[in-house]
Amino acid sequence: MAMFLKNRRFVLASAVAGALMFPIVAGAATLNVMQTEAPRSMDPGDQTATYTAALLDPMYEGLTKRDPDLSLKPALATEWSSDAAGLVWTFKLRPGVKFHDGTPFDADAVVKNFTRHLDTKRGLAASGRLRTFLEGVTAVDPMTVQFKLKTQYPAFLALLATGPCLMVSPAAETAGTIGSKAVGTGPYKLAEYKSGEYVLQTKNTEWWGGAPKGEDEIKWTWTPEPSVMNMALQTGDADVVNPFPAAFAQQIKANPDMTLSATDGSAVFWVSLNTKMKPLDDVRVRQALNYATDREGIVKAFMQGFATPANSPLAPVTPGYDKSLAPYSYDVEKAKQLLKEAGYPEGFSMSTIVQEQESRIGELLQAMWAKAGVKLEVRKMEGGVWSKAAFLDPAGKEKDTIGSSIASWSSGVNGADLQFRPLYHSKSASPAGANLGFFSDPKLDELIDKAASTLDEKARNAIYVDAQKLVNEQAPHVLLFTKQDLFATRAGVKGTWVIPGGLIIVKDARK
Amino acid sequence: MKAYIAKKLLALPLILIGVSLLVFVAIRALPGDPARLMAGPEATQEAVDNMTRRLGLDRSLPEQYASFAYGAVRGDLGISIKSKLPVVDEIAERLPFTLGLAITAYLLAIGIGVPAGMIAAIYRHGWPDQIVMILAIAGASIANFWLALMAMNTFSVQLGWLPLLGASSWRSFILPSITLAVLPTAVIARMTRSSMIEVMSQDYIRTAYAKGVAPQTIYWSHALRNALIPIITIVGLNFGSLVGGAVVTESVFNWPGIGRFLVDAVRYRDYPVIQGVTLVAVTGVVVMNLLAELLIAVLNPKIRFD
Amino acid sequence: MASIETEIAPRRRALSRALRWMAVHRSIALGGFLVGLIVPAAILAPLIASVDPYAQDLLATMEPPSWAHPFGTDDNGRDIFARVLYGARISLLEVVLSVGLAVIVGVPLGILSGMSGRYVDQAVMWVMDILFAFPGIVLAILIVSVLGSSLINLLIAIAIFSVPVYARLSRNLTLGLKSMDYVEAAISLGISRRRIMTHYILRNAIGPIIVQSTLTAGTVILSAASLSFLGLGAQPPLPEWGAMMSDGRNYLGLNIYMSLFPGLAIMITVLGFNILGDGLRDLLDPRK
Repeated sequence: MAMFLKNRRFVLASAVAGALMFPIVAGAATLNVMQTEAPRSMDPGDQTATYTAALLDPMYEGLTKRDPDLSLKPALATEWSSDAAGLVWTFKLRPGVKFHDGTPFDADAVVKNFTRHLDTKRGLAASGRLRTFLEGVTAVDPMTVQFKLKTQYPAFLALLATGPCLMVSPAAETAGTIGSKAVGTGPYKLAEYKSGEYVLQTKNTEWWGGAPKGEDEIKWTWTPEPSVMNMALQTGDADVVNPFPAAFAQQIKANPDMTLSATDGSAVFWVSLNTKMKPLDDVRVRQALNYATDREGIVKAFMQGFATPANSPLAPVTPGYDKSLAPYSYDVEKAKQLLKEAGYPEGFSMSTIVQEQESRIGELLQAMWAKAGVKLEVRKMEGGVWSKAAFLDPAGKEKDTIGSSIASWSSGVNGADLQFRPLYHSKSASPAGANLGFFSDPKLDELIDKAASTLDEKARNAIYVDAQKLVNEQAPHVLLFTKQDLFATRAGVKGTWVIPGGLIIVKDARK
Repeated sequence: MKAYIAKKLLALPLILIGVSLLVFVAIRALPGDPARLMAGPEATQEAVDNMTRRLGLDRSLPEQYASFAYGAVRGDLGISIKSKLPVVDEIAERLPFTLGLAITAYLLAIGIGVPAGMIAAIYRHGWPDQIVMILAIAGASIANFWLALMAMNTFSVQLGWLPLLGASSWRSFILPSITLAVLPTAVIARMTRSSMIEVMSQDYIRTAYAKGVAPQTIYWSHALRNALIPIITIVGLNFGSLVGGAVVTESVFNWPGIGRFLVDAVRYRDYPVIQGVTLVAVTGVVVMNLLAELLIAVLNPKIRFD
Repeated sequence: MASIETEIAPRRRALSRALRWMAVHRSIALGGFLVGLIVPAAILAPLIASVDPYAQDLLATMEPPSWAHPFGTDDNGRDIFARVLYGARISLLEVVLSVGLAVIVGVPLGILSGMSGRYVDQAVMWVMDILFAFPGIVLAILIVSVLGSSLINLLIAIAIFSVPVYARLSRNLTLGLKSMDYVEAAISLGISRRRIMTHYILRNAIGPIIVQSTLTAGTVILSAASLSFLGLGAQPPLPEWGAMMSDGRNYLGLNIYMSLFPGLAIMITVLGFNILGDGLRDLLDPRK
């Protein structure tokens, strides 16, 4: 005990616990935002989770940005132009911008930001999507940068507003602290990050854009418990809850003190099948699993109807989505027949790994697939443990007998390439990318690469239709549904909006 | 008497050694490389090598245990895989919340259980006695987290009177401490009752009655003083059951104490934390048990725990 | 006429004698009744429940109690009544396995320790004290974190932390009996140790062991439910009562039935065992 009494943290925490006994007066105007998971990192270039991106959004900016109408506007760059071939892009940078730690924003900063992603030894989580098309970045003069692309990339400008392209302070980057201490150029800066508890952001009074329009402070908390999210909104402990649990959505709709927002989302939920593990290496088996899945049932039971059953690897909001595709109906007999053809008349056993929030999907599939003779073992894992397991290489997955993983992927409105490439391109096989099942089809790779460099939208979308058909047929995933973006706010909160995929924007919100 | 106390005090380090041995062996029993397990799946090879040296894996098993035990005594319980912070610090941050909850629960249990037990003893075989006994045995049979869920549903969600989870204000203490207090209250009530019944049938009490001493005086000054023994018994000897109850209660209410910390650590496979919290919790229980036994020995030399 | 009456009379007398016995020993009657409710329900579950407890009806999720579903349905559309009944089977299994294991390991250990020399006895009791020092749940969590989260591992862990009680109980009984005249006489007569242990000691120990078993049964069910509630025991889709309550937790405010009925089931079962144990203890207590 003695060691504890001397421990500074113990004394501090005792004071906190003791202070709980006395009512605390509410502080400055704070917008309380509650999400379902903790931030993975304070560095937007080293993570790919949508909700972390939402949390980092008020603090970081890119050369371009998205407006509420989803159009791209200048942000840290004031104007840009490209050469005729679309391979060399020149950007004029905004003057008078400083990072939160005082470092000036200039061409050098931009170059440093991009070179760290091009460095294959760094291993930053979000670099993958840049490396496919970016050749290099150079500073022409202190306020001008030039990008050299390997191939034409239609989604280039869109990408500049996201993740790896958001500008982090070169000083913090070099010091190696950027992962735990955010330093950007945005209208809010990091005030406090209490690991496991909350993130507090305060207004950046020196923001280049003038006075930030939102509240004085934004406080981010998180909980995996749906009932807590509901309660927090009811009591006013949270002003914004994202994503709002579908189970309680009807209650909120009926309540005048609260507002529910349900818009078309872009997060596609799927089961990634390990194509290197028997019997999932046989396409008939994979198709059988698709036939054995009652998508409507899952949408009703898991999402309370706030989702669309998936008929394509793309979300309906993504350009190129083909709504006429209808690859798999719910047909248990067909599933059994395919399994018999593949040599498994009695069915087989397999496992799936899933995070807490999606574990019910696993249970639903367990019962469904059992009807076709497939015995599914559902392994529930805590976030970090799941990430490790999901991104194992084939040998690792073989050793742990990981047959499949349940998760989702959203490419927002950044184009179909960002949905196809990370999930289905052979080069994206984990751990390098999110192709958790090691799917490899040269024809698909070709289609993806061709589409990525086709500037004509009509032609590009036509290629994507072929790609969708191929993915549907080869079934590396059991595609489940596309989730609507559900978020709820207290009735007085104005100015929140969401980028399809669940990326909530709160920096301009007032309550 | 002195021999008894000495024997008890000598037994303490032996038990603690045994406990730490068990924890040490349990973690070592995990399949795989202990260094990698302790460093975490995301650790670089360099970090794993450092851990190998730290754990002394190149030395013999007894030497490894020795360095582990020595480190524990000095306050070094390793580094949490999840937060990369020293386990001692993490525990220190959460311990006050658990202690606060435990103390509140005990105060509730004593405040309700003792009077209830007294009333039951005084009106023995009457309906107060029946009611207290029924409630007591029911209290010992309920899953306290079930009661917690029902209470949360009513008081937090439906009525909105109390906060649902976490430790945000003094109101947050109410449901968790009541939940944790259910079992100790039931046990204290029963023990107070039987202890008082036994005391009240003693000769010196009957003499006091005969002499005309007011019943209140009899109950409160004579009988209750002797009933203190069961209370100390419960608080001290059953501290272990309270710790166990705290683990579940904290998880239900998302209370930021060491109980929830332990459960989260298992889900996250944070072995240094599992090891550290277990050691701290069990050490606390053992010490409390010892204090209770010694106190009882002083108060009533006739009772011995062998 | 007379002969029939004399035929009936003894039976009636035996029945009234039994009823009077039960009225006096209320605890055993009540406890026995409750346990007697649960055990057949568990064994006959497939006959009583008309529905498969694992069958999901995704169009009828979270329904309140009705004729079709006496306890309502859960979030996956499964019948809660059927799941509670099958959960009784699991609870019964928990009791039999954990208590059984604890008795089989603990009692012989205790008797042997009591019969052995001072040093062996101290050593064994030292190990038992160490196990006993751990709060049950904490030790179970430690063991489960090593063995992995599953119902079987949980039951093994619970058995482990229950062993010391039986070991200590049997050891103390052994020490007490060892000094009794007739045992000492038996030893001096040269009767083998094994015979002494089984014939004299075990016979006397059975009563307290049974009493302790009923009390341990309650602890087993509560501990297993607690750990399954935390996700460290029974894994889905097993209809273990604690696990069912964990599912229900996500819907606080929306649906209370998913947590209400399994919890009630736990209470009735543990109450039954506790009351029964109390009654048996009073019956066997030489003080009365």
